[in-house]
Amino acid sequence: MNLKKTLKVTGAACLALIITTIPLLSTGCAGEISNADKVKVGFSICYTGAAAEKGRPMGDGKLDCIKYVNEELNGVDGHQIEVIWRDNQYDAAKAGTIVSELMNKGCLFFTTNASKMMGASMEIANRAEFAGFSVFSAPALTHPPQHIYGQMPDYGDDWAAFARYYMENIWQGSGKPKMVLHLLNNPTGYGARDAANALADEMGIDIVAIEEHSATTISEIESLTRIKALNPDILYISSTPQPTSIIIKNAVELDMYPGITIACGHAGFTSALTDLAGANAEGVYGVFPTVNWGDDVPAMAKMTEYCQNYHPEDYGNMDYITTWAEGLIVTEILRLAIENVGVDNLTPQTVEEYGFKKLNNFDVGGLHGAVSYTPGDNRLSKSVRVFQIQDGEIVPISGWVEAPLIKYEDFEWFGK
Amino acid sequence: MNVDLPAGTRNYTYIQDMAIFRTRTHWGLFLGLLAAMLTMPLYLGNYWLSVANLIGITIIAATGLNILTGYCGQLSIGHAGFIAVGAYTSAILTNRFELPFLLGLICAGLVAGLIGIIFGIPSMRVKGFYLAISTIAAQFIIIWVINHWNSMTGGFTGIRVPPASIGGISFVSQASQFYLITASTAMSVFFARNLARTRSGRAFIAIRDNDLAAEVMGINLFRYKLTAFFIGCFLAGIAGSLLAHRIGYINAEHFTLMDSILYIAMIIIGGAGTTIGPIFGVIFIQMLQQGITLISPTLESTFALPAGFTTGIGPMVLGLIIVLFLILEPRGLAHRWTLFKASYRLWPFSY
Repeated sequence: MNLKKTLKVTGAACLALIITTIPLLSTGCAGEISNADKVKVGFSICYTGAAAEKGRPMGDGKLDCIKYVNEELNGVDGHQIEVIWRDNQYDAAKAGTIVSELMNKGCLFFTTNASKMMGASMEIANRAEFAGFSVFSAPALTHPPQHIYGQMPDYGDDWAAFARYYMENIWQGSGKPKMVLHLLNNPTGYGARDAANALADEMGIDIVAIEEHSATTISEIESLTRIKALNPDILYISSTPQPTSIIIKNAVELDMYPGITIACGHAGFTSALTDLAGANAEGVYGVFPTVNWGDDVPAMAKMTEYCQNYHPEDYGNMDYITTWAEGLIVTEILRLAIENVGVDNLTPQTVEEYGFKKLNNFDVGGLHGAVSYTPGDNRLSKSVRVFQIQDGEIVPISGWVEAPLIKYEDFEWFGK
Repeated sequence: MNVDLPAGTRNYTYIQDMAIFRTRTHWGLFLGLLAAMLTMPLYLGNYWLSVANLIGITIIAATGLNILTGYCGQLSIGHAGFIAVGAYTSAILTNRFELPFLLGLICAGLVAGLIGIIFGIPSMRVKGFYLAISTIAAQFIIIWVINHWNSMTGGFTGIRVPPASIGGISFVSQASQFYLITASTAMSVFFARNLARTRSGRAFIAIRDNDLAAEVMGINLFRYKLTAFFIGCFLAGIAGSLLAHRIGYINAEHFTLMDSILYIAMIIIGGAGTTIGPIFGVIFIQMLQQGITLISPTLESTFALPAGFTTGIGPMVLGLIIVLFLILEPRGLAHRWTLFKASYRLWPFSY
């Protein structure tokens, strides 16, 4: 009995000790982060999960770029960039806790690859005024503009840019061309739908049907049979490479394609698509906000060198380009913030005010359109190009096309 | 009769027999836990508070599923769907109709409970695997409605949810949310603990053990099965509402079939049919998932593994753990806890 009593007393004493001392200890352990040597940024990457075919090269691209900045450029004004990255596994619940962790670890801002992951993180970040940007973006992330930015034009901008290109360069019939949207059932797909809702009438395009598919679809014969009966002129797909390839292959099987125009938003238009769809994808149009591999732009040589040294499997994948550019933008935001307020005064708020909002025609080595912050428009880059698959290669067929700001929040159907 | 009491402690009144905290040790542990919970925001950063909040919400949902499946034996693989009903009810009421959070919270529970009753009706005719399939249908139907009722739910795009707010106090920070969620979790667990000792609780257990025998004894199967569905889904709705207000922006991708399966895994690992089981199960699974996410970058850089390798094996580890629990400890962590307590009481004289 005495032993038991001793055990109880000791347990109670330990508990009391823990409760009273941990707050004191933790203030020492998790106190102010020294900005003297390193500046921290957080990356939430979908290396695994349903979007891994895009997440992996994107994760590789941004980590390689920061490695380049730290090793060859000696960081930002002599301060190394410390990256805290987590694999969100394309899981919304994980993305929410990851953004909290990144804030807790003293990151100055954060980025995600996917619009879905930013969607799952953004309100936590907005409420904490913790700025971040998403490489691939959707209208819901930046409308109304708060603390979340889009690195590149969103999926709605893709649609608008392609529709404009189509009307000016491809459509030769009379009356309104008939367009069908085939959309991934998440913001990737519905960003295109929102733009079509806002602009189709004005541009003289008749949206005759909207079909949906999931990221794990294995056949779209059924939906394409319905579409074929409508005899459309254009099939616009806003999705990731795997489902896009299935839709294109099914369209070929149903003798729909060639015969109509097929176009893709940028989430699905990468080398993964040409690998998956093979010869079926010949002639398919796509919109993408970056240059292609091998193009003569300043950042190409260093990016290619790092890609071939560290991740040769990603060479030729345009997703790698998007996040190499992301790494350069991260560096520029930090550089501007340090220049404006000094490294000792860096906080998430000062970095947003004096980093994000001071971006002005920053050239990402020519990899995509110039990056600027415009008040009321949280898209950092606003230009896309139209490409076409020719002889199995993704070939640019247009110059940079500026995507105008669509004020979605002014439309009642956009919701709150 | 309470059989968990140490030797020499006897109950002489019904009040003593029904008491949850019967001995000074019970009270001491309870007060210690209370003190630890109240002071937790002082020494946990935002990240661990957000994990604690997620655990709290998941415990509420798992407790609901435990009442339905663990106590009453009605297998449900659509629990994430019922959580979604609660989340969207609260989101729509507070966003579109600008009603107060508390009303949204209560309505979330009630609407999820009523939807649960509708999907529980097949339990009159089918059980086991067949009931599991009908509850999977609930998951798919609910998510389909959410995705296509665009004007109300925001469809695939989703809907913003304002922060929880009661009497002018807005629960925006992780610390303030922690208190709200912890209080809700404590109430849910307390409710579940007491429910198990009521007439209804005993009826649930009788139905689970042998519904034919229960019916012969005079238990109204229709009434009690639907009550179990209502209570289980009510708690799922409450969890959904808290989740929606915590993350601030929801779409259907927060409520997947995989989540429904994970809830089943949580109550199996924790110990189905016990109050403490879901708590153990939720903490175990959530910490495992968070742990894998946290250590992955270090492991991958240390052992030069491809990026994503260690997080990729996470689901495999989870599956392996579930299988091992089913084989080695089908009564879950709660049973281990009972053995530990018994051992502690007898220590050092085990025999």
